[in-house]
Amino acid sequence: MAPRSKEGHIMFLIIVGLMGWFVPGAGHLAINEKKHAIIIFVTIALTFATGLYIGSIGVINPVGAKPWYVAQLMNSPAVAAIGQITRTGDYPVYGRPNEIGQIYTSITGLLNLLCIVNAVYWAHLRRTGASGE
Amino acid sequence: MSIIAAFVMATFTTPENISVNPKSMLWLLPLVAAISIVYKTTKLPKIRFVHFVKESVVLFGSIVIFMAITALVLCAFAWLVTE
Repeated sequence: MAPRSKEGHIMFLIIVGLMGWFVPGAGHLAINEKKHAIIIFVTIALTFATGLYIGSIGVINPVGAKPWYVAQLMNSPAVAAIGQITRTGDYPVYGRPNEIGQIYTSITGLLNLLCIVNAVYWAHLRRTGASGE
Repeated sequence: MSIIAAFVMATFTTPENISVNPKSMLWLLPLVAAISIVYKTTKLPKIRFVHFVKESVVLFGSIVIFMAITALVLCAFAWLVTE
């Protein structure tokens, strides 16, 4: 395979990052790390679903809990779609279920951000030839 | 909409009933497990099942033990202040 130009390489890194954001683990899939991709996808999807199960979709609250929402957005753009549904306030959630649900969904968002950065870093290392191990 | 679909939708639109008691702290365990697994996935360049599980379990244990120690220290501090 012919080496990419500098612009092509930057574009590839952006695509890897965006893939990892759209679907957790897809960034690693783009750099042929299938095992990593599967583990990341399953773990993040399950933990996020657990958070929604505990607190309902009401824990995604772009109006009353903006800092949490920003972290939740790191999971996937699909979170913004859920945020549009809950924006009206039709799914109120209070107390411990709200806390636990928000913590679960926000932490998974931050974990996905870690995975995105990791996938982009590995994609960059492979071009420069460093092992990164 | 089928009954199953309605049931699935309902589980995600109504919160669970979790009371505020010491047992509810156990909800941190699945989250710590997820953090350990994802963190180790990003750290290990090659994933071999036994090694991966071992590393994840060690990290899981480390986090839980550290949190338990922190909780004990905070409890002791609160006891000293309030006594």
